[in-house]
Amino acid sequence: MEVDKLKKYFSFFIKHNTYLLFVLYCAISVLFIRLQGEDTLNALRSGSIEISAFFSEKVTGIGEFFRMHDENERLMKINATLVSKVISLESAFNDAANRKKILADTTISASKYIMAKVVGRKFSDRENMLLIDAGRNQGIRPNMTVLTPEGLVGRITYVSAHYSKVLPLIHNDFKVIVTSNTTNTMGILSWSGGREDIAQLEHIPISSPVKINELMSTSDFSTFSTPGIPVGRVISLKPDKLFYDAQVKLAVDFSTLTHVLVAPLRIEPEKIQVLQPTAGTKNDEMQ
Amino acid sequence: MTRNIPTLIILFCIVLLVQVFGLSYLRVFNVTPDAVTIFIALTGVTLSQRASTTFGFAAGIVLGIFSENTGMLIGWMMLSKTVEGFIAGFFNIPENSHSTTKQKNRRIYMAIIGSGIASGAIMSAVYDPMGFSPIIRIAVLGLLKTLLTVILAFLANLVFLKKSLLD
Repeated sequence: MEVDKLKKYFSFFIKHNTYLLFVLYCAISVLFIRLQGEDTLNALRSGSIEISAFFSEKVTGIGEFFRMHDENERLMKINATLVSKVISLESAFNDAANRKKILADTTISASKYIMAKVVGRKFSDRENMLLIDAGRNQGIRPNMTVLTPEGLVGRITYVSAHYSKVLPLIHNDFKVIVTSNTTNTMGILSWSGGREDIAQLEHIPISSPVKINELMSTSDFSTFSTPGIPVGRVISLKPDKLFYDAQVKLAVDFSTLTHVLVAPLRIEPEKIQVLQPTAGTKNDEMQ
Repeated sequence: MTRNIPTLIILFCIVLLVQVFGLSYLRVFNVTPDAVTIFIALTGVTLSQRASTTFGFAAGIVLGIFSENTGMLIGWMMLSKTVEGFIAGFFNIPENSHSTTKQKNRRIYMAIIGSGIASGAIMSAVYDPMGFSPIIRIAVLGLLKTLLTVILAFLANLVFLKKSLLD
């Protein structure tokens, strides 16, 4: 009898095992629902976050790999925009700084001078040329002296309405009479190519008391330049037969020249006229 | 569908991974199609109610762990998936049946719809991702999810399930 009963129960379980399994699963689920706020589930949750984050990272990585090309293009565009902004800001900042520096220089009465920006340059080892953004309309005239607070830059050779060409000190055709500030030794400064920061000083007699490191400035004898503009310092003196073979380290750094001042015209026609017969070349006329 | 248990388990794991990390990107009104429902429906139709209920229960655990609420709804997820598997089992086609592919497909879609709605109704009772009233939640979570799942099943059937059903 008992065996029959047991068989009956057993067959019931066999017959309805799916239902019983379903009830069991539901019971476990309900248990989990009841335990929702418990520590065991909290531990499970924190573990699941770790696992989920691990897989998510991998899946995101795969997605990122396929989006890399677009992302690179986007970054390149952003980069280009930022670079252009930085360049523009730096340029504006430098302009302002240079302007301020020139205006702050007390040795130059800036009100009489015309300030200009160097907008073009042609540099080579023989011939150099500068272009500034001030022309006839701004009061620039040929043969005006171009300078910076550091020293002489050159002179104006050609003027258009808004631009002017500057024959810089570092040009083969440029010559200027200079004088020493301490010993009053005079010479003719010229540039014969090569390094842009070194010029030659000619016609300094062996007997002159010139010394190394003497500051040379434009002389009163110059036909175009205002006197007293620094030109450079003597860095080498080699005695020749009659004259020194001297070299001058120029005061102006032409490689970083951005702003210049144009001095008022100081042409003395009578003086030029007197000098005319002795001058050999056109360029010698303006020293 | 294969009756090899290890193959089924591997397939089950792949489907779970696809569901958790792949299909979550296919959202419509914050609802995603459910590849696990398709798998459970397939096991219910082609294997047995017991198999689909067990797979449903297991899927509930995994999906509960990886759900957006990270474990908050694990119990409810287990319950809904177990019910899903249990309901899918009612659409079982016996092994020795001479049903056509069309009939099998129809059964699968019916299993997906039936189990999907039941599962959605359970989840909508507790899960409120969009702040809707319960009726709208059932419509959104249950019906929209079922609709998306049916579309996914249809597309999957076109690609590769047809062949496995005929096996």
